[in-house]
Amino acid sequence: MIKNYFKIAWRNLMKHKVFSLINIIGLTIGLSASFVIGLMIYYDATFDTFHKDKDRIYRVVTDLTSPEANFSIPGVTLALEDAISENSNFETVSGFYIERPSKVENRVLNSEFKWPNFVVFADANYFKIFDYKFLAGNTSEILASPNNVILTENRAADYFPNTKPSDIIGKTLVYNDSLHITVTGIVENFKERTDFVFEEFISHSTILQTRLRDDFLNKNWNNTNDASQLFVKVTSNADLSAIQNRLDDLAKEHQDEESKKYGDEQKFTLQPLGDIHFNEKYGIYDWSKGQASKSLLINLALVAIFLLLLGCINFINLNTAQASQRAKEIGIRKTLGSSRKQLIGQFMGETFLLVLVSAVLSLLLSRWLINVFSDFVPEGLSYELMKSPLIILGIAILLLLVTFLSGFYPALVLSKFNTVSVLKNHLAVGNKKVKLRKFLTVFQFSIAQVFVIATLLVGQQINFLLETDMGFKTDAIVSVYSPRAEREISKKELYALKLRAIPEIKSISIGGNAPASISTNSSSVTYNNGDNEVNLDLQFIFGDVNYVEVFELNLIAGRTIRNDTVKELVINETCRKRLGFKSPDEAIGKTVLLGDQSVPIVGVMTDFFQRSLRSDIKPMAYRGDWYQPDWSQFQAVHIAFQNESSADFKGTLSKIENAYKSVYSETDDYRVEFLDETIQRFYNREQKMSKLLNWATGLSILISCLGLLGLVIYTTNRRVKEIGVRKVLGASLLQINTLLCKEFLTLVAIAFIIAAPIAYYGINNWLQDFAYKTRISFWVFLVSGLAMIFFALLVISVKTLQAANANPVDSLRSE
Amino acid sequence: MQNILVSLNEATRTVNSGSNKVTLLDTINLNVEAGEFISLMGPSGSGKSTLLNCIGMLDHFTDGGYTFLGEPVHSMKEKNRAKLYKEYIGFVFQAYHLIDELTVYENIETPLLYKNIKSSERKAMVADMLDRFNIVGKKDLFPIQLSGGQQQLVGIARALIGQPKLILADEPTGNLNSKQSGEIMELFAQLNKEGVTIIQATHSESNAAYGSRIINLLDGKIV
Repeated sequence: MIKNYFKIAWRNLMKHKVFSLINIIGLTIGLSASFVIGLMIYYDATFDTFHKDKDRIYRVVTDLTSPEANFSIPGVTLALEDAISENSNFETVSGFYIERPSKVENRVLNSEFKWPNFVVFADANYFKIFDYKFLAGNTSEILASPNNVILTENRAADYFPNTKPSDIIGKTLVYNDSLHITVTGIVENFKERTDFVFEEFISHSTILQTRLRDDFLNKNWNNTNDASQLFVKVTSNADLSAIQNRLDDLAKEHQDEESKKYGDEQKFTLQPLGDIHFNEKYGIYDWSKGQASKSLLINLALVAIFLLLLGCINFINLNTAQASQRAKEIGIRKTLGSSRKQLIGQFMGETFLLVLVSAVLSLLLSRWLINVFSDFVPEGLSYELMKSPLIILGIAILLLLVTFLSGFYPALVLSKFNTVSVLKNHLAVGNKKVKLRKFLTVFQFSIAQVFVIATLLVGQQINFLLETDMGFKTDAIVSVYSPRAEREISKKELYALKLRAIPEIKSISIGGNAPASISTNSSSVTYNNGDNEVNLDLQFIFGDVNYVEVFELNLIAGRTIRNDTVKELVINETCRKRLGFKSPDEAIGKTVLLGDQSVPIVGVMTDFFQRSLRSDIKPMAYRGDWYQPDWSQFQAVHIAFQNESSADFKGTLSKIENAYKSVYSETDDYRVEFLDETIQRFYNREQKMSKLLNWATGLSILISCLGLLGLVIYTTNRRVKEIGVRKVLGASLLQINTLLCKEFLTLVAIAFIIAAPIAYYGINNWLQDFAYKTRISFWVFLVSGLAMIFFALLVISVKTLQAANANPVDSLRSE
Repeated sequence: MQNILVSLNEATRTVNSGSNKVTLLDTINLNVEAGEFISLMGPSGSGKSTLLNCIGMLDHFTDGGYTFLGEPVHSMKEKNRAKLYKEYIGFVFQAYHLIDELTVYENIETPLLYKNIKSSERKAMVADMLDRFNIVGKKDLFPIQLSGGQQQLVGIARALIGQPKLILADEPTGNLNSKQSGEIMELFAQLNKEGVTIIQATHSESNAAYGSRIINLLDGKIV
């Protein structure tokens, strides 16, 4: 029986090759997208799910709120650990501190490692919360004394190549030239997906021998640092609300006078282990990995669902349209004793076969798609993941679901045919089914249309973001960053001196970050105008006297700073307004209180964008480098080129690099950034979204048009006789074509009417993220509507022209 | 009583055409005994096909009683009716109504599939049937590759495969030439001799003559 069904299903597939192909293409696209996106969701959802008692592990995080701004910090103040470690709700409390040593040496092998990543100062509690497998070392006294370190297998292989774990125990590593630390354990790296990427665990007490000594001796409630991490494992019957209350009380208890005065508050919360991988607010430890974004995953899932739906709709449309062709077979089968259930079973079987063919194609295709979507696909995701049982089960369920969605309705329609009328050829195709098909077509085109409009509008906004004048010079400027550890200024000056010899360079400035960057440095300033006091959060850019010239900042009053170290500020317009000065000139010469120092305002500059256009322009000031030469805020040398054209960029760049190498001969840490690229990088997310939309648009148009083509083929075939008669009566090619197209174009037009407001609403919502945005212009809607009609017309005409061109004698003879 | 196969008691079939009620079959009383070969005659629209369809349970009477092998069909549930029908009735059509996508062999096999007969048994039964109708050589051809007479032969073979007690033939030779037509009628006569009850609808006097009884219909009434 089943064999018979599959046989007839296969023969039907082959008989209606075009329809089958359309169905398979549609379903394959939908399934491929679902496979890849499902894989991504699975990949991200299975991070850190292998830990023992994972539901009881939390990270304590800090939210700082002030009237000015809110900050979310993945770390906590150092003082918190001691305050909660005795609480009976916690089984284990483990604080650790992330600190990158500048250098690690294995002096026996004479090897040196610069800036090793993922080094933490931790104690035995860390290993109580996270279960590592020890390959060597004493597990009863983990990190019990200072100057011990536990390495992961991978890191050990770097430091001690080709050495057995047990032989590494007892060996010494030298950190930062002075710390002699003994390896006391080797642990296996976590084999499964994890965000806990730490490779070196130095005993916590060792921290007192580092630059952090003072911080740890005088733990301060008002200082919070990302690096200071605190994990807790709560007892199995812990009262989470009591814990939260306790944390709130602690925060309140230790709020200092100044915070109270300005309304600054800090709040500690427990972040569940499972939240770490997704919560962009607090981040993960390996920044280079890029974090899973729930909203991105949701958007992707939506795209997959829509594509799959479009495929299913094609199937339903084409199969119900074709129904009358299958009607005879159904009638006969009924007279031969088939029950309706059996017929439904047969059609579902056929659908399943088609879905299966699509699934096989999709499996092949998704291998390739993973590469195409490499921007979205997490780095560690491999196709091998397909083999995990959950994914296989998921695919099986998905296939059944798709079979059901696309097959059930046509099966119902087909099996309902009345035997007697079918066999008498009295088959009236119900008006209702035609309506349903129209509805589904409209639905398809609405989705496609929404995608088209969204793509154009997002593109427009991205264009706007990139084209908008930032308020300073962004072209032909490169920044060369100094080695990370360098805190003094002398070498940068030497480097700048060497650069001055290069004729292609217009101007050079030693400074902090460029005017727009992702990092900010701010502190609170107070201004007392005699009557009342204004307090605000002021962001700083640091630079020498040339900074204004290099970036072509616009001074509108006063002057720039006199030299690098003089304590003077040049504020921007926003700051000037917030401080309450009526005009730029009024601000000149006034002093503001910065910490305990009075600093005069010597200049006012126009506003410029300090970050992406997503955020508002904040009060900002340009200042020198006040703590030279010991502790310099300057990290980079900014270079403006003579010539804006990129003709000789390469040569100049290599000269710049050579100069760097002659100054910093001992490091290979050459980092150069182009300002325009940095600004483009602000909008990585938008670019990604735009790419995703492009794909979604293309595919949804493709699927929808294929579906439309199928319907057109069917309809025109049925109207062949009518076309023939009309031609005999003297209708022109154009008239016939118009007649045939009108029906379908109406559907596309209705779809546009439905889609336009949805797209408008969606994009309008999306644009709310941006402080600065383009206007949603109506020509975009017009263009996208016309484009859609053009596509539809193109597809329809392929068939209708052929039908209209046919010789009427042929079509009429068959009667 | 036992050998009465079909018994119709004032069976009536009406349809609503717009606001008019049209009577297709009007109070038909008919008993068919096992082993009979009945020819239904009458002009187009007299109700021959409707009567066949109703007896064959593809359609149903709107009024009156219908008893098949002593079981009251008119008051039966759809499921039981389908069972009865699968077991005892075979159909032959004017337009053959073979499934175009299936080969001769598969067409003949199909009714057995719906009766849940085992594969080995099916094979034997179909082989027998092919043999009996001398169409073994054509078993892998598709209907479109056969002549009309051959197609009807397959149609009859398919109707017979389930070993029905009753064969309903709606103008079985209507699309055939006289030679083919004669062959098919000979076949029916032969089958009837072997004990199969046959009811055929026909326009042709000569075909009707093969039957043991002729019933004339006019405007839905037996005359």
